[in-house]
Amino acid sequence: MAHHDHHQVTDNYFLAPETWTKVRNSLVFVALVSWLALAAGFATNREQFQFSYLVAFAYFVSLALGAMFYVMVQHLTGSAWSVTVRRLMENIMRTIPLGLILVLPVIFGTHYMYEWTHAAAAKDPVLSKKLGFLNDQWFIIRSFIVLGLWSLFSWRLYAISRAQDDNGSLKHTQAAERWSAPGLLMLFLTASLAAYDWVMSLDPHWYSTMFGVAFLSGGALAFMAALILICLGLRSAGYLENSVKEEHYHDLGKWLFALTVFWAYVTFSQYMLIWYSNLPEEVAWFQRRLAGGWYNWRPFMIFGHFFLPFFALMPRASKRNLKMLGFAAGYMIVMHYFELYWQVMPVLHGKGPQVSWMDPVAFVAVGSAFGLVFWSGLRKKPLVPVGDPRLDQCLAFHNV
Amino acid sequence: MATNLLARLNLPGFESESKKVKHYGVVANFDTPEDLLRAVRTARAAGFSKMEAYTPFPIHGIDEALGAPRSPLGKIVICCGLTGLASAILLQWWTGAVDYPLSVAGKPLFALEPSVPIMFELSVLLSAFGTVLGMFHLNRLPTYYHAFFNYSKAEGASNDRFLLAVEVEDPKFNAEEVKTFLDSCGSRHTELVEA
Repeated sequence: MAHHDHHQVTDNYFLAPETWTKVRNSLVFVALVSWLALAAGFATNREQFQFSYLVAFAYFVSLALGAMFYVMVQHLTGSAWSVTVRRLMENIMRTIPLGLILVLPVIFGTHYMYEWTHAAAAKDPVLSKKLGFLNDQWFIIRSFIVLGLWSLFSWRLYAISRAQDDNGSLKHTQAAERWSAPGLLMLFLTASLAAYDWVMSLDPHWYSTMFGVAFLSGGALAFMAALILICLGLRSAGYLENSVKEEHYHDLGKWLFALTVFWAYVTFSQYMLIWYSNLPEEVAWFQRRLAGGWYNWRPFMIFGHFFLPFFALMPRASKRNLKMLGFAAGYMIVMHYFELYWQVMPVLHGKGPQVSWMDPVAFVAVGSAFGLVFWSGLRKKPLVPVGDPRLDQCLAFHNV
Repeated sequence: MATNLLARLNLPGFESESKKVKHYGVVANFDTPEDLLRAVRTARAAGFSKMEAYTPFPIHGIDEALGAPRSPLGKIVICCGLTGLASAILLQWWTGAVDYPLSVAGKPLFALEPSVPIMFELSVLLSAFGTVLGMFHLNRLPTYYHAFFNYSKAEGASNDRFLLAVEVEDPKFNAEEVKTFLDSCGSRHTELVEA
């Protein structure tokens, strides 16, 4: 409902250049150090490097895909509540083309990770039939096709939104809607494909049609947590205090809660169907991930990733308390990493988790690269879509 | 008690107390939601506490302005949901492992994994019941008679009018004063309404 209350919004929508430069410099420093360290890891223990890198790569790509999903959903539903945070979503989404470069270490290291690249796969009765799909050539082609499509859509959606900043024309809103509808369809199909290729094919005998949705739901969860943290970070620096208010945080918190439930729903459905049919070729995936020391990883997934945040985020008060919400968001950021770690690492360390120094370093390295692309979008550009026709409605937004 | 009952029957000789007309309160009539909101805030500032607003659509901020407490519906729903969860576990365990144990494909008679869908469904089902029935109860539905409808322009509340009632239960209630007060807030038609 349109509001007629007179809101005096005095927010500054542009980051101070010195603040921007300061953060940029720290990001560049962190990126340089971590990529150098990662290069040392690459030279000393290639196998560990590949797996650590894959977890980090899958993590940040899934997070950016979560952003793209949300941008499209905001356009398609004509959301007013999210207008002031949409530009930040778009800036996260805009990091996707970086994947075209960062996928290279995965592509050049398939032999260290994927069983289907080994010569023995041709003699394996199951794998030999899958080699027409799972081979280096098609893996590379598919990787670039999905990353290319994501780049195209993220570039278009961002460009449309930026063009609206200047003239506020409704035409841009309609154009964004036209791109979002086929985009959403594209996103689910390609994200499934990417999840199958990059993560699921680590166990090439195994397959689950749920896997793509599970991957995307985890990514969307990490994205929502990241968005909350970014908003809170800008708030603590004195930005967007009147544009992203308690009411908006309340809704972001609802999404964080809802995505926790959705993630659990999808992930558990996958587990339960496999548990129930109890077929050797399906059970193998979970057996590998519950074997040895990995058995102790279960509580992280069941309680850490679901029950704890579920009950913590359920009360209205915890979604409106910014400290509590910030803590929950930071926590979910870590939990998504735990999940991907648990999906990928048992292939390398079958006996149990063996944390390597390369795990955090790869995470920081890939994260700082994505962070730099994200940050470059905030330079001299407004933090909110200032030309959006629903902006006033969003500033006056109020939960009933 | 007996005298009360007799008084209600309006028998001759017993009407002394009930002869006085009972009132619901004073109802005021505003043009816009903003006028209503302003009136509510002024009335609250003036110390009125027992008020009710009648509007054609929900108005943001009216609950806070009226000083209405948060609805306890959420607490009702979580209790119902947890009851559903507990009964689902009980149902799965008792039927599967106690009352009629039947081994299917070598699966355990009772296990949490296949019970989760039942737990989920029953939690949702009872939560939904709790939500709807709890809402009815908290809204005192069905109500067959409400004194508010004695107001001569009550139907405006479902059309284009924004009404505010200050009820007689208000400790500061005084019909004449309230009327003057609400008129001063910009009411178009203020009326003392019978119960």
